[in-house]
Amino acid sequence: MIIARGVTKRYGRVVAVRNVSFELPAGQSMAFWGSNGAGKTTMIRCLLGVTRFRGIASIGSNSVKRRGRAARALVGYVPQELAFHDDVRLGSAMALFASLRRVDRASAHGSLDRVGLSGHERKRLRDLSGGMKQRLALAIAMLGDPPVIVLDEPTSNLDAAGRGEVVRTLQQLRQSGKTLVFASHRPDEIITLADTVIVLDKGIVDRVTTPRELWPTEKPVQVVRLYLSTASEAEAAQALREAGHAVHINGQGLCVAVPRDRKAEPIGVLERKSILVRNIEVLDDVRLPEGST
Amino acid sequence: MTMLTMTGPRAATHVPPSHRRAVLTFARREFRDAMSSRWFVLYTVAFTLLAVGVSFLSLSGSGSHGFAGFGRTAAGLLNLVMLVVPLMALTAGAATIAGERERGTLLYLLAQPISRTQLLLGKYAGLSLALVCSLCIGFGLSAGVLAWRAGGVGVGSYMVLVGLTAMLAIAMLSVGVLISVVSRRTSVATGLALFVWLVLVFVSDLGLMASSIVFQLRVQEIFALAAVNPLQCYKMGAIVHLNASLDVLGPVGAYASYTLGPAMPWVLSGSIVAWIVMPLLLALVLFNRRRSI
Amino acid sequence: MRTAIVAMALLAATTLGQQPVSVIEQRIDRTQPGSTLAIEAGVYEGNLQIRKPVTLVAQGDVVIDGLGKGTVVDVLAEGVTLKGFTIRASGDSVTGEDAGVRVLAGRAIIEANIILDALFGIDLRESPRSTIRGNTVVGKDLEAERRGDGIRLWWSHDAVIEDNIVRNSRDMVFWYSQNLCIDRNRVSESRYGLHFMYSHDTTLRENDLEGNSVGVYLMYSNSITLVGNRMRNNRGPSGYGIGLKDCDDIAISGNALLANRVGVYIDNSPSSMDSTGIFQGNIFAYNEIGVLATPNTHDNVFTGNAFIENEEPAATHGRGELHRNAFALDGVGNYWSQYAGFDLDGDGIGDVAFEPRSLFGQMLASEPNLRLFVHSPAQRAIEFTARALPELRPRPVLVDPAPLARPPVIEVAFKGQGVVGSIPMALLAMGLLASSALVVVFLARERGLDSRIARGAT
Repeated sequence: MIIARGVTKRYGRVVAVRNVSFELPAGQSMAFWGSNGAGKTTMIRCLLGVTRFRGIASIGSNSVKRRGRAARALVGYVPQELAFHDDVRLGSAMALFASLRRVDRASAHGSLDRVGLSGHERKRLRDLSGGMKQRLALAIAMLGDPPVIVLDEPTSNLDAAGRGEVVRTLQQLRQSGKTLVFASHRPDEIITLADTVIVLDKGIVDRVTTPRELWPTEKPVQVVRLYLSTASEAEAAQALREAGHAVHINGQGLCVAVPRDRKAEPIGVLERKSILVRNIEVLDDVRLPEGST
Repeated sequence: MTMLTMTGPRAATHVPPSHRRAVLTFARREFRDAMSSRWFVLYTVAFTLLAVGVSFLSLSGSGSHGFAGFGRTAAGLLNLVMLVVPLMALTAGAATIAGERERGTLLYLLAQPISRTQLLLGKYAGLSLALVCSLCIGFGLSAGVLAWRAGGVGVGSYMVLVGLTAMLAIAMLSVGVLISVVSRRTSVATGLALFVWLVLVFVSDLGLMASSIVFQLRVQEIFALAAVNPLQCYKMGAIVHLNASLDVLGPVGAYASYTLGPAMPWVLSGSIVAWIVMPLLLALVLFNRRRSI
Repeated sequence: MRTAIVAMALLAATTLGQQPVSVIEQRIDRTQPGSTLAIEAGVYEGNLQIRKPVTLVAQGDVVIDGLGKGTVVDVLAEGVTLKGFTIRASGDSVTGEDAGVRVLAGRAIIEANIILDALFGIDLRESPRSTIRGNTVVGKDLEAERRGDGIRLWWSHDAVIEDNIVRNSRDMVFWYSQNLCIDRNRVSESRYGLHFMYSHDTTLRENDLEGNSVGVYLMYSNSITLVGNRMRNNRGPSGYGIGLKDCDDIAISGNALLANRVGVYIDNSPSSMDSTGIFQGNIFAYNEIGVLATPNTHDNVFTGNAFIENEEPAATHGRGELHRNAFALDGVGNYWSQYAGFDLDGDGIGDVAFEPRSLFGQMLASEPNLRLFVHSPAQRAIEFTARALPELRPRPVLVDPAPLARPPVIEVAFKGQGVVGSIPMALLAMGLLASSALVVVFLARERGLDSRIARGAT
């Protein structure tokens, strides 16, 4: 369904993506995994054909360069955060995109229904919560029932509840046979949604693998909250990151994502650095706050 | 909900919208955005008030005599148009693409099954229509005042004036859109638009005046240089129609009407049409080539 | 009107038999001096010479056709009357001065004739006390340099020239002819509407001069009075409503000077030191320049005039000001539509003098090419700069110490002509507004997906 060969994109002298190739059969789901700046978003823009790049990319045998409109007609796109005029009403935005995707009003309503936004048509976009906006983006992406859905970190600006809703919708889409391509830095999402993971590092394909190989445990990640003295938080975060953990600092300590069976590891890391951990808390759900790496 | 289940999801076609449909969709959206934009409404109100004011004030002295002629009324309207209309069109054009780019909506729109050409042409068409509407409101109310006071210029001439003004507005819109395409940020685009406005309205005329004195330019040189400026062409065209003679413009005007004769209106409107077509084509080429989002 | 005349003439030519003009000449030869001859309808070809004082009256459509050679009708005897003829197709020899009607003796009456395709229309030479009334003269379709005069008087004193219409000609010109009565003539699309050369002591009333190069051009002619004439849209190469060259004792009052390039052009008038030019109660409206004068012009008095919407109310030809002329008489100045002063005591006279200053106008005087930039924002920018920077402030071109606060009521014979009907303009206004409203309503209404109720309806 989706083919990329030697996709390379430079911004001036900086190479954002170098020589990325893959093939994704229809009905499969693929994730880009990597830190910020690894080239996930650039790769998605190349696949959509909205930016210039070297190499070949095609969707459903349509080259995104030469038959970009036909290629994009097969794709529903969900951005990191729905960026649209704030004072537009939800219904108007929906009508605009329905018109661009040759979809009649009844199906457009159907899309809204599927994400649970029916009845909010008169609301202006600025009055929507982040989760509602992202659901609207999903509804727009599903207009006309395209076979491919492309998502660029669709949940990174959402809270847990919002994220859950989006992930559930995506799961349904996957089950209904859609081809999914998405960028994420959340292992849990990737494990739930992806068949294949492309690990990007500084624009280069590090490896092509499966979530199972990347995170071998069944339910691999839990978040552990470590309570330290405020002064040592930065140093601790640094040390944990060096040790390969995903860390997030918020007001109430450090949140660290750890494999389920190695919850004590961060404490050991900090001990070796002589940083005192006052208390730890294992959070119930997999919940890695936004912005963490 | 019942409606939805009964209708069911439509069979997906996954065909990009026709060129006309995409352009019309964007045109309609742009028109509506312009009409609900604070700046646009402000410009329209200002233009209308000034136009009505000029007609009212300059007729109040002569209304009792009931003579028609090209006096300061028409001159005042011309001056007003030459100041306000390019400003309005340039800034409206400059904001259009740069604004979408800055808000991040450009990427979102381009991820739909449409081409850059469709997007630009649609926005251009919508803004043109909005500008023409705004002019019609101003000129319409002004005509109302003229009708009430029974004087001023003839109906035919007035319609020609409205038509010429619409052409000028669309030409300035082309320039504005070109500015917008090459600008990353709205503030830069607006600044450039204001600069171009200053150049076209004041600097080029004053510069041409100075050089005609310093270099003692011949009349044909002065005319040729002046005819490059769409505002001068607009002014000369308006005077030809309102006055049926260019001797108002001294030796240069006499030279022009002597050498060009009946071709005069065509040459002048041709220059304005060139200002409509050339910047728009250049904008399309650059927008498609640079591929920045 | 014109086509109707031509069509009638053509009809006459085709339906009626052609005869030589000698038919008429033989009838004149047979008749007594002073008697009246009715000429039957028909086309008479050739050059007619009238050598006896007779009255010729056309019965129906009588065409005298010169066949494009020489002068069509020559009046050689005193006291001839020619009435109601269509006279056409003179030669076009400029040296021969071929004319429709040439009068070489006094007391002729040329009345109600239509003269077409003639190099000169009616040419009076040393024919005093003649009357030219109610004729229509349309010149040959030649380029300006080769045209002849529509009506010309040469040493013909005490003539009455009234109610004639001249089009497409050079001038209606008066050479060395005094004490004339020139009323209600209309001259259009010609060079000089009424042109005076060394012709004194005459009053011009209610003439209408439109679309000529110059409306009324007085040269070397003294004691001329213009009352109630209308000079409109005279542009062309000179473009004056009224031009005055070396004329003494001119009185111009109650005239309308509209939309000319220059309302009144004054070149060295008055020329003698003890003479005065009077301009009283005229309307100068919509001209590019109201009054244009050579810098040495002096002793003209402007009082009670209305200067309305002229791009420049007054200017000099070349550098200089108009300070040797008076713009008020006995405390009564003129109305100037650009006057920004006030009249606190309510006596109808502005409390501050009117002193128009224009830097751009001053620049135009030395650099006429800059006139291209008139009516442009750049011009306003220059004027604004001049107001803001006192060093650049130009000297006023004139000073009216007692400007009128309100336009004077001036009755001109042609008042009200050429006004745009307010109904078409109102319709246009409504059309513009309605169409924009329609477009706005049609396109700007929300076309989004609406609430469930709307959904049920679709």
